[in-house]
Amino acid sequence: MFFRMIFGTLIRQWKKMLMIAFTIALGASLATAMLSVMLDVGDKVNQELKTYGANITVVPKENSVLNSLYEVEDGGSTGAYLREDELGKIKTIFWAFNIVDYAPFVNTKAKLDDGTEITAVGTWFNHHMELPTGEQLDAGITSLRSWWEVTDGKWIDEQSIENRNVAMVGSALAEKLGVRMCDEIHLTGSVSDLTVKVAGIIDAGGDEDNKIFMPLDTAQTLSGLDGKVDSVEVSALTTPDNELAVKAAKDPKSLTIAQYELWYCTAYASSICYQIQEVMTDAVASPVRQVADSEGAILEKTQLLMVLITILSLIGAALGICNLVTASVMERSAEMGLMKAIGAQNSSVSGLVLTEIIITAVFGGIAGFFAGYGFAQIIGHTVFGSAINMRPAVIPIVAVLVLIVTLAGCIPAIRMLLRLSPCEVLHGK
Amino acid sequence: MSLLELKNIYKIYGDLHALDDVNLKVEKGEWLSIMGPSGSGKSTMMNIIGCMDKPSKGEVLLDGVDIAKESAKNLTMIRRDKIGLIFQQFHLVSYLTAIENVMLAQYYHSVPDEKEALEALDRVGLADRAKHLPSQLSGGEQQRVCVARALINYPEIILADEPTGNLDDANEKIVVDLFHKLHNEGTTLIVVTHDPEVAEVAQRTVYLRNGRLHKETINQHFTGEIKFDNEVSV
Repeated sequence: MFFRMIFGTLIRQWKKMLMIAFTIALGASLATAMLSVMLDVGDKVNQELKTYGANITVVPKENSVLNSLYEVEDGGSTGAYLREDELGKIKTIFWAFNIVDYAPFVNTKAKLDDGTEITAVGTWFNHHMELPTGEQLDAGITSLRSWWEVTDGKWIDEQSIENRNVAMVGSALAEKLGVRMCDEIHLTGSVSDLTVKVAGIIDAGGDEDNKIFMPLDTAQTLSGLDGKVDSVEVSALTTPDNELAVKAAKDPKSLTIAQYELWYCTAYASSICYQIQEVMTDAVASPVRQVADSEGAILEKTQLLMVLITILSLIGAALGICNLVTASVMERSAEMGLMKAIGAQNSSVSGLVLTEIIITAVFGGIAGFFAGYGFAQIIGHTVFGSAINMRPAVIPIVAVLVLIVTLAGCIPAIRMLLRLSPCEVLHGK
Repeated sequence: MSLLELKNIYKIYGDLHALDDVNLKVEKGEWLSIMGPSGSGKSTMMNIIGCMDKPSKGEVLLDGVDIAKESAKNLTMIRRDKIGLIFQQFHLVSYLTAIENVMLAQYYHSVPDEKEALEALDRVGLADRAKHLPSQLSGGEQQRVCVARALINYPEIILADEPTGNLDDANEKIVVDLFHKLHNEGTTLIVVTHDPEVAEVAQRTVYLRNGRLHKETINQHFTGEIKFDNEVSV
């Protein structure tokens, strides 16, 4: 009898119920889209921000102590180096898939023929690696410093060059020396000298414009630092720091076992740094605060915006439901009054109306969920250029939100039902 | 003890006394008509007797229980268990069939029983129309479904508000005959009407005017059968 009455109403008032379902679908679709994007936006925004450079630097422990002691970024060499043969291990840590790019650097002083001393930097441009995991990776500054502009020539392609004595010259230095692409520069390092051919001129917009960049092994030959690197810059997808991450960054040993596991298994910059330190001998990895903080701030603001849009859309849906359900109950006041007159308690009549609306909400919510999934993909492709991964958590969250919004929207109608006097509606008083 | 007793009942809306010191007793198995012009307080009295409203003052004793002091929830239960309501406008649920409308009263009372509902429809001569929607029934048939619905839970009182107000003579006779049949079976009937022909077939008629009991007549020649040539003598 109960369901006969419900289906009777759903069929008889199908237009109104369709409007209610549509309103719920609208709210659910926006909530689904926003939640999907919000939960996935961390990775997306991080991915976007990774194009603006590394967010973790790795230096030898001794250099790090010196830098910390004198609060300088470049404390100079103490004679301590990182091992080049350990660089591949960075892609074997727990959060290996979050390491999107990295490049080692070796800095050395070299003299030009006229006696001028310049800084030569050895690095990877697009170094190809075959990792122990079987994964292949092309890493280096070509992608890590993608905003550098090559004003003359082109990036060095390490995988195709036969002569490794090539270099990219900073624009300021190139202007000072009057060199262009294909010119040759003779450099005298601390242990050997060599002539490099200019592959391109780079405009980095910073100190790098006064340096000369060459393949890592070329700079190592020049300086006699075979198998050694000064530092490594790593670009990693990270989760914004929270209280736990801050505490762990100060001293991981201060964490309880449960906290440690949570921290270790979350892609905080500090936990990735910790894991890098685990695989590299005498290395100190630290987040580049400015970048990490910016990522966190942008992410938080983006997510806040999405939460606000979700809340507003749900409030809108609740108001729409409120109007429609109230209108529906008013239209059926004689029927509701009759039910009360023949013995229905307030709870029975309210339960009937709520069940009708919740059944409608289920259909509206399912339709809204799939529409929202579609909206999320449109947002993903339009804003981030890739699909949004639907997190399973979105389904129960949207279900609970739809239920809350539906029930909230029904409150005025239910209040009206509770106040409905059978004698008033049945006698038209 | 009377089945129903109204003691010094008042219903006051601001300055208006819809009911003004009304006293009335209804015995078990009695057929009572309440008559009066529009605004005399008939519907107010029916709402109070039907547990759909409470008096401003006074006692309403139903089976010895003062229903004027009961909570809204208890009034609903009393109405469900003891009173069968019949309305002028029928008030059938439009999307339920005749039998489902009868079962609706069972549903809110106890458990729907299709066989019993069909028997109730049979009592009012509508067993063959059980699967019809209200829109497929005539006015008289709709009112008989309403009677079946009122009967289904074996109430102590059948309370009818202008039961023939929307019916033609033929259907009016059918409904009144039905009341006669119910009365013979021992059902207590209270019929609110302004139709003298319907009122005068009852055992007793009380007349309301300006919220007060104005007059009371006993039908000395009670037969319970309606006659349209005004042959009923009071």
